[in-house]
Amino acid sequence: MSRVNPKFATELSKYGSSDFNACFNCGNCTATCSLSTADSSFPREMIRYTTLGLEDDIKASLKPWECYYCGECSSECPRQAEPGELMMSLRRWLTAKYDWTGLSGLMYKSLPLSIAAFVLTFVGVLAFAFSADFDLEYMMHVGHLFEAIAIASIMVVIFVPNIIRMWYFTIVKPGTKVPLKKYLSSMGEFFVTMFVQKRALDCDDNRFRWFEHFILVIGYLSLLFTTVFMDWFSTQYLAVNIFGYVMSAIVFIVTVDFVNSRMKKKKALNKHSQPSDWFFVIWLFLMGLTAFMTRLFIDLDILEMNKWLYILHFTVLVQWALIIVPFGKWTHFLYRSFAMYFAKLKEK
Amino acid sequence: MKQRIGVYICHCGGNISDYVDVEELGKMFHHEENVVVSKDVMFACADSNQKDMVADIQANKLDAIVVCSCSPKLHLHTFKNVAARAGLNPSNYVQVNIREQCSWPHSDRPREATVKAAGLIRAGINRVAYSESLENIELTVKKSALVIGAGVSGMKAAIDLARSGSEVFLIEKDFFVGGRIAQKQTLFPTNQNGKEVVAFLYNEMKKFPNISIFTGATVEKVSGSLGNFTVDIKVKPRYINPNADKKAVKRAMDECPVSVHDDFNLGLVERKAIYKNYPEALPDVPVVVAEALKDAQDFTGKFASTLNLNEEAQTLSLIAGSVLVTTGYDHYQPKEGEYGYKTISNVVTLPELNRLMEMNPEKLVYNGKQIKSLAFIYCVGSRQTKGDNKYCSRQCCTTTIHTSLQLKEKYKDIQTYHLYRDIRTYGKQELMYAESSKQGDLYFKYEEKEMPVVSVDGKSTIVKVKDYLTAKKEMEIEADLVVLVTGMVAREDATTISELFKIPIGRDKFFNEIHPKLKPVETVIKGVYIGGTCQGPKNVSESVQSSLAGASKITALLKSGTVMVDPITARVDADKCTWCGKCSDVCDYTAIKEVLFGEKHVAGVNKAVCTGCGICAPVCPENAIEIAQYTDNEIESMIDGFMMDFDIKEKGAGEVVEVEEEGKVGMKEYPLVWREILAGMTDEKNTIPEIVANTKLAGELVTFHLMTMNRYGVVVPAGMDAKETYYYYKKK
Repeated sequence: MSRVNPKFATELSKYGSSDFNACFNCGNCTATCSLSTADSSFPREMIRYTTLGLEDDIKASLKPWECYYCGECSSECPRQAEPGELMMSLRRWLTAKYDWTGLSGLMYKSLPLSIAAFVLTFVGVLAFAFSADFDLEYMMHVGHLFEAIAIASIMVVIFVPNIIRMWYFTIVKPGTKVPLKKYLSSMGEFFVTMFVQKRALDCDDNRFRWFEHFILVIGYLSLLFTTVFMDWFSTQYLAVNIFGYVMSAIVFIVTVDFVNSRMKKKKALNKHSQPSDWFFVIWLFLMGLTAFMTRLFIDLDILEMNKWLYILHFTVLVQWALIIVPFGKWTHFLYRSFAMYFAKLKEK
Repeated sequence: MKQRIGVYICHCGGNISDYVDVEELGKMFHHEENVVVSKDVMFACADSNQKDMVADIQANKLDAIVVCSCSPKLHLHTFKNVAARAGLNPSNYVQVNIREQCSWPHSDRPREATVKAAGLIRAGINRVAYSESLENIELTVKKSALVIGAGVSGMKAAIDLARSGSEVFLIEKDFFVGGRIAQKQTLFPTNQNGKEVVAFLYNEMKKFPNISIFTGATVEKVSGSLGNFTVDIKVKPRYINPNADKKAVKRAMDECPVSVHDDFNLGLVERKAIYKNYPEALPDVPVVVAEALKDAQDFTGKFASTLNLNEEAQTLSLIAGSVLVTTGYDHYQPKEGEYGYKTISNVVTLPELNRLMEMNPEKLVYNGKQIKSLAFIYCVGSRQTKGDNKYCSRQCCTTTIHTSLQLKEKYKDIQTYHLYRDIRTYGKQELMYAESSKQGDLYFKYEEKEMPVVSVDGKSTIVKVKDYLTAKKEMEIEADLVVLVTGMVAREDATTISELFKIPIGRDKFFNEIHPKLKPVETVIKGVYIGGTCQGPKNVSESVQSSLAGASKITALLKSGTVMVDPITARVDADKCTWCGKCSDVCDYTAIKEVLFGEKHVAGVNKAVCTGCGICAPVCPENAIEIAQYTDNEIESMIDGFMMDFDIKEKGAGEVVEVEEEGKVGMKEYPLVWREILAGMTDEKNTIPEIVANTKLAGELVTFHLMTMNRYGVVVPAGMDAKETYYYYKKK
C-alpha cells in the first residue's frame, strides 16, 4: 500500500523537471525507448511514480541510470510531458539522496548557494597565493599535492559512503538477495560502463554523441593521470609532454561542442540545461584550456611573467575538485557505473 | 377482383437466381389466372426496368402488379412509385420477398427455395387480386406546438418555433424555468453562468407574444393525434395574491418563520417556505409551500392580503398540432453506503459539489472543515455491467474535469484526484483534460471488478484504489472530500409522460427515438418528438442540437398545414357492430370510440390516430372490424395460394417445357450496362482493357459485370493474352 504524495512534484521541480504532470499514461515514451525492455521498462513507470510521489519506489529504482537521454521519448510525447527531462531530474534527485552530506541537494536546488561556493573557493585560492607571496614554484608544488590529496580524501569521505548508501537503497532495502560470487562475476559490467558506456550505443542515432562522450572520458581520465601521476607540468619527457597537450586539447575541444549544442537547443536532451549542467561543461572546458595554456606558457618560458594564468588554472582545479566532483554533475560518472553493476546484480 | 396482373421476378444479379430458378417461375406464372405479364428481370429496381414496367402497365392495361425481389423495407416505396407513375393506385401493388426469405436463407436447398418462392409469389398474386384502391388520409394540422419542459432544450426550441410564427405552449413542472442548467454556476466550454443563460433565454421568450409559458404545470390527459392533440394540463397555485404589492411579497419572504427542504440545492441547506429557487429565478414571483405554513397562523394572518392560501389549481386544455418532449433527466442518486454515501460524512455527489462551490465563493467549506483535496470517483451509476444503467452518461467526465479546473481557479490551493475507468472527453473537450493534468490533477484508473473503497482512518478519509496505471499497485489517497461522479438517469416521472403520450421507453427508461441515425428525434407516435436528455445522456450543446432538430421537424409540419398518413387503418362494418366496446378496450392509441350510426351505437375509428396495428380485429366477437390491405379476403387467399402444390424440378434436371405463348419469357432484357459492354465487344475475343477503351466505362465496372455475364452465359472466357495478364472474353 503506497500513500499518494502530490507534493513530491513540487520538490522535484526544483531539480529541473518540467511538465511531467501533463502525462496521460499512453506509454509512447516506453514504446519508443530503445533501451527499455520488458523486464525493465521506462520512462512511463518513473513518470507515474513521480506524479504519485512514490519516493521509496523511486529511491529503490536504478532505471533513471539506465537512461542515456537520447531524447526520443520527449520528441514522441503527445502531451509534451518531457519524459527524458524527467529522467534527468530524477538522476539529480537521486544524486542528492545518495549524498550523505546533503550538499548535493543544496547545490542543485539553489543557484546562489552554488555561486557563493565558487566565489568562496576563488577567494581561498587568492588568499593562498598572497600567503605564498606569489611564488610560482611553491604554488605549483602545492597545486600538484592538492590534486592527489583531494582525489584521495573525496573518494574516502564522500564517494565510498555515498555508494554504500546507493547500494543500501537499491539492493538491501528492497530485499534483493545477492550471492557474494555474483558481486565478483558482475564486476565487468562496472568497468565497461565506466570507461566505454557501451549501453549508450543502443540509443537511437547516438553514435556521434557516444563517440564524443567516449573520447571526452578517455581524455579527461588521461589528463588526470598525466597531471597527477606523471607530473605533466614538470615532466622532462617529450612523449609525456605531447600526450598531455593532446589530452587537454581533446577535453576543451569536445566540451566546446557540448556547450554549443546546449546553447543551440536543437535536440531534446539539450533543451533544458540546469545550472549544474552548465557548471559541469564549462569548468571541464576551462580545465582543459587552462592546463593546456599553462604547459604552453611553461614551454615558452613566459609563465613567470603570467602568474595569473596559473592562479586561474588552480582556481578552476580547486572549484572542480571541491564542488563539481563531489557535489555536482561529475558524480553521474560514478553512479551510472555502479547502477549498471547493481542492475546486473539484481538480474535473475 | 383484379384481372390484369403483372408479375416481375427479379434475379437480383444472381443473389436470387443463383438458388431460385426464377426463369422457371417466370414461365410458370404466365399460366396463372388473371396474370397478363410474367417476366424474370435481372435487376427489378434498375432505372431501365422501372421504365419498362411503366410501359408494360400502360401497354397491357394492367390493374395490379407484384414484384418478387427483396424485402419491402428496401424497395416497397420504389415500386409503389412505379405504380403511381404508370397511373395505378399504389395500393394495387404487392411486394414478395424471395431474397431474404428464400434465396439467402435456403441457399443450401435450391429446389425447396424455388418451391417456397413459388408459394409466396402465388400468395402475392392472390392478395393483389383482392387489393383495393386506397387514398392516403389527409389531416389538417393546427398551427401550434406544445413543448414540455422549460430547460435549456425546451426554451431554445420554443424560441425557434415561435420565430417561425407558430403558437407555442411551453409548460414546466417546476415553478421556475431553467431546469438543470440553473443549478450550474459555470457551463463548459464557455464558462457562462447557467443562471445567466436561463435569464437570457427567458427574456428572449418574453419578446414573442406567441409563446405562452406555464410554470408549476403538469400534463394530465392527452387525446387527439398528429395535427390536433388536445392536452389537458394542471397548473398548481403559487398561493401569492396576484395583486399583492411586490414589497409586501418580499417582506413575507424575508419574515417567513418556516423552513422546508431545499430541492434546488439538493437538500444541502433548507429554504424558507416562501421561496424562489435562487434570487434571480424566473418568473419573478415566489412560491408558497402552503402545507408548511398551516401552523404559522400569526405569520399568515399578518400577510393575509399578500398570500392567497385558498388558491386552487387550474386545469387548462391546450390544442397543439405537434408536441416536443424535453423533460430532461434526474441525477443518479447513490444508494446509502455506496462508496460511503450518507454513511461517511464527507462523501458527496458531483451535483452537490457544484451547489457547494456556488454557495462557497471564498473558501470551499463542508461540514465546517475547509476542503483542500478532493477525490472524484467516476462512473457512479453509469456503465454498470451488472446493474440497470449500462450506458455511459457521456457528459460526466468533462463535467468533472471542468469542475476540477474551476476548483483550482476559484480556490487556488487545491489538489484533486480522479479515479476513473476511462476518460471520455471526446471532441474539443479533450483540451480540458490536457489542461487538468497540466495543472497537477492526478488520475488513477480503476476497473469495475476492483472498485475503489472509501474508508475513515481517524480524522482523515482514505480512498483505496488498485491503480491500473501503476501496475495495479494499491494506492491510498487521503482526501478532505470524496465526490461521486453520478451519471444521468431518466426522470422519475418519465413513465407517466410515456403512458400519456404512448412514447416507448427503453430498458434504460429513457424515451426511444425511431432510429438513432435516420429518425433521431421522431417517436413512433406521429407528431410527437423528443429532444434533450429525456432521450438519453447528453451535454448541453447536444441537448440543444436535438431539441432544435425536433423544433425544425415541427416547423416543417406546421408550415405545410396538412399531412398525409398511410391509409392502412381499421374499418368497422356498422351493420355487424353491436358496440360491445372490446375493441376500444384493447386499443393502445385510444383510436376507437363509441359513435352513433343512425340510431345505432357502433365503434368509430379515428383514422388520424389509428396506426393499423390490427389488435382490434381479432377481439371483435362479430368479426365487424377489418384492417385495410389486410382484409380477411386478402389474408385467406394468400394462405390458399401458399398452400397449393407445385411441381418444380431440380434446376437442369429433366426437360423444361418451353412455353410458346405471347409475352416475354426468359431473360431477354439485359441491364443497360451489359448492353453497353456487349456493344463494346467485337465478334472476336476481347480483353478487359480493350472493352474499357471501346466503351469508356470504368475498368472495375467492366470487370465486375463481365464476371456476372460469364455466370449467366452471356459471355465466355477464351484463354489469356500472350503476356498472361488478362483473360479474353467472347460473346456467346
